[in-house]
Order: sequence, then C-alpha cells, then structure tokens
Amino acid sequence: MADASIEFKGSSFTLSVLHLKSATLVDIRADLAKKVAQAPDFFYLVPIVVSIDKLNDDIDYQGIKTLIEEFNFTFVGFTGAISKEQRQLIRECGFSFINMAKANTVKKPLLVEGAVAEKPKAVIATPQRDLYTDKIHRGQIRSGQQVYAKDQNLVVIGSVSAGAEVIADGNIHVYGSLRGRAIAGATGHHKAQIYCQKLEAELVSINGNYWLSESMEEHWASPVYIQLTDNELTSSKLI
Amino acid sequence: MARIIVVTSGKGGVGKTTSSAAIGLGLALKGHKVVLIDFDIGLRNLDLIMGCERRVVYDFVNVINGEATLNQALIKDKRVSSLSILPASQTRDKDALNKENVGKVLEDLGKLYDFIICDSPAGIEAGAMMALYYADEAIITTNPEVSSVRDSDRIIGMLASRSRRAELGLEPIKEHLLLTRYSPKRVAEGEMLSVEDVEDILSIPLLGVIPESQAVLKASNAGEPVILDTESDAGQAYQDVIDRLLGETIDFRFLVAEKKGIFSRMFGG
Repeated sequence: MADASIEFKGSSFTLSVLHLKSATLVDIRADLAKKVAQAPDFFYLVPIVVSIDKLNDDIDYQGIKTLIEEFNFTFVGFTGAISKEQRQLIRECGFSFINMAKANTVKKPLLVEGAVAEKPKAVIATPQRDLYTDKIHRGQIRSGQQVYAKDQNLVVIGSVSAGAEVIADGNIHVYGSLRGRAIAGATGHHKAQIYCQKLEAELVSINGNYWLSESMEEHWASPVYIQLTDNELTSSKLI
Repeated sequence: MARIIVVTSGKGGVGKTTSSAAIGLGLALKGHKVVLIDFDIGLRNLDLIMGCERRVVYDFVNVINGEATLNQALIKDKRVSSLSILPASQTRDKDALNKENVGKVLEDLGKLYDFIICDSPAGIEAGAMMALYYADEAIITTNPEVSSVRDSDRIIGMLASRSRRAELGLEPIKEHLLLTRYSPKRVAEGEMLSVEDVEDILSIPLLGVIPESQAVLKASNAGEPVILDTESDAGQAYQDVIDRLLGETIDFRFLVAEKKGIFSRMFGG
C-alpha cells in the first residue's frame, strides 16, 4: 500500500461562493459582467461554488454552469440546495453538490428536517477524520510524562497527573482525573473532544483553542466533556 | 534474595535520610541483616544521622573504583550488629558511580544481607537514577504539600520507566507511599494536604504516616535514629512502617489531631 501511486486524503479549502438571488440567466449575466469588469484578472480561473439557497425551483443548472465558465471561472459545483429533490436533480445533471461545512451546526432547519441522516455520503472537502482507532494507555500518567496518540484517539484508563501531558490527533478520554494538560485534535481537527471523569486540568486544547484552569470553573472537579462550538471551547457535564 | 529498597522523593528535605536510617535500624532490630547505602555522593549525611561519621575511612566510591574492599568500607552499627552502613564520598560527585559497578556491589551485598536500603539523593538526575535503578521496592517519601507531591509523582514515573526492572520488562518496582511531617492539626485547618488527598493524587499504597515531631530533629542531631525513641509518636509511626514492610497489617495512627484536655486548654498547653 505504501508505494501506491495515489492516495486520498481530506483537506479543507477556502472557496469563493457565488450566491444567486435570481434564477434568470439574463440577469445573472448582466450583474456578473459588471462585477468581473471591475477586476478581470482577479476572477480569472478562480474556482467557484454556486449557492442556490435563495432560489426556488426551476433552476437551469446546465445554463448556470455554462454562464459561469463564459466568464472564465472554474466551476466546482453547487451548494445550498435544501430539498432532497434539488440535490438529486443536481446530481442527475452531472454536477457535484457540496455541503457547506457550517450548515450542519449552525442552521437549525437542516437538523429539524432530519436532513442530517440523509446527507450525501460523498461530501467533498470534509476531512474523513471520524475513522480514528484508539490508543489505550493503562495506568496513571505521571508528572513529566507525555503520551501522544498519533492519528488516533487516546484512551487513558487511570488519571493524568499535574505536569503530565496527553496529546491526540483525535479525541481524548480519561477514565480518572485529568489534572495535567490535554491536547486533542492536535494536528487540526475541530471535531475532536475531550472527556474526563474529573476535570482539574492545567490546560485543555482542541484544534489550537485552549483553556487554562481558570476557564474551567463552571465544571471544575466534575465529569465533563469539552468540545469546540463555533471556534469556542464549551464544556458540558457528562452525567 | 535480598530485598533492594530505594528511599526516594524527587524533592529534597522531605525526610529521605531520616526515613532510611529509621527503617534500616528498625529492620535490624527485628533481627534482619541490613545494609544502608548512602547514594548522595558529595552530600554525605546518612553517617551523621546514624551517628557513625567519625568512623568513616573508606566509602562507596572507593569500593566502586576498587580502592577498597566492601569489608573495609562497611561500618558496623554499634547498637545493632546486623546493621551496616556504606557511606557516600564527600569529596566526589555523582558521576563517580556507574551502573555496572554499582550492580556488582549490590550483587555482592545481596549475598550477605536480607535488606539493602538505598538512600537516594534528591532530584531526578544521574545520582537519583542510579539509586533507583536496581531497586525491587521503592519508598516514596512525601510531605503533605503540593510541590513535594508533584515531585514524587515524577519519581514514580521514573521508577516505571528508567529502572532495571522496567528496562528488562520484569515485574514493576513495588511502590510504597511514606508520608512524613504530617500535622493533623494543620490538615484540619486546611493548610496541609490530607492523607486522602495525597493518596488520591499519587494512587500508590500507603506504607506509613509519620507525624511532624520535635523528636525527629533531636534524634538527627544526636545521631540516634528516631525509631529508638519509642516514646515519641514519630518513633512509633516508624515502628508501624517496619511491621508493614514485614507483611503485617496495622492500623494507621496519628492521623487525627489529639483533643486537648481540660488542663492543657486552661493552661494553654
């Protein structure tokens, strides 16, 4: 496997999104022409995703794509379709449908409609990081010791002493007291979480966002899990 | 097979040498053959606590370097004939020891004694590592105070990773927690960590709790290990430690502050 000529990996990119407020191609062309005229070089071969969340039905997907490419954008796919039918249609036209990363956590309507369960499997640009295996450490991790679970979750059966450090690229579970430092999602994973039976940590960090002890007062010495919500750490009681 | 026991702590001044002396003498008084080794090369103290500082001719480093035989360097205790002391060198430093030669000396001592008590220097450097390397058991001496507890935690980690038993993948070193300078009164006032607090943080079995006592300083200055002071609470607490080391189950004493009687309350005793 190691010497295969290709490898699939998930990565995140920042892409420009063109939000359409009208489905009428003539209107789009006119407005787009004005915009591009202001900075033709800036838009040349820029990859672009077209959002149709403000549009209703009767969308000419093929027409939109052709139009976009007339202006020398690189068309990537559509986003923002709310109904299942729309997505189906997009796929039938031979285009990619891209889920916006934030849509799952921020937009409540999506959750209410139970759309989460129906999410298309082939989501582009969402790192496939939920497949981590576990590294299990039995016994207490003492002051001065460091345990790193590379590309794994870390499960500690015991306590993490003050002055000890546990690091994982995935989640961290401590079945004991967490008194030292816990760094989850170490190589950039915003969904990583930290669980412990007793939170008395010096520092907890997820994907680079960290808390010192003073920020943990609310759930100090309680069973807690910590996660990242909109780039802010939040803690919740486990029991 | 001799039991090699290291008395260690990480932090200095918590009572390693006092405890080594008391435990060594206590085991000898029970009829066991015991040798006490001072690993604190350059800061020789054990001979003072044992009251044999005037009898030091050769030391541990001389033996390591082949300048003296074990018999020449070992000092027989005048109180108990089954106890010997191998003093440290005061003029050398901790690099004077090397693993191979220390191993050889311990092997030779193991043929003559039941217990080898290694009094470790403070710190986590070469000297402390040398003292714990060959140990079968470790007595982690800790004061009920956060910095001491954290340093002990560090040393416990070292026992599990840097010892001979760890390197060879043998059964791990047996750890014992010895809490010294314990003052139930100050615990009650919230100034000191309680036994439960320390046990919770370190999670190793408790071997003994030695109460803070005037008797300890007096004993050290006199060169008479405090275990000989059978009237004192510290002496009795060390006696309990000996019995526990020898496999007995004994309740812990001196854990709660004594209630003041009516007279001492009236006269401010």
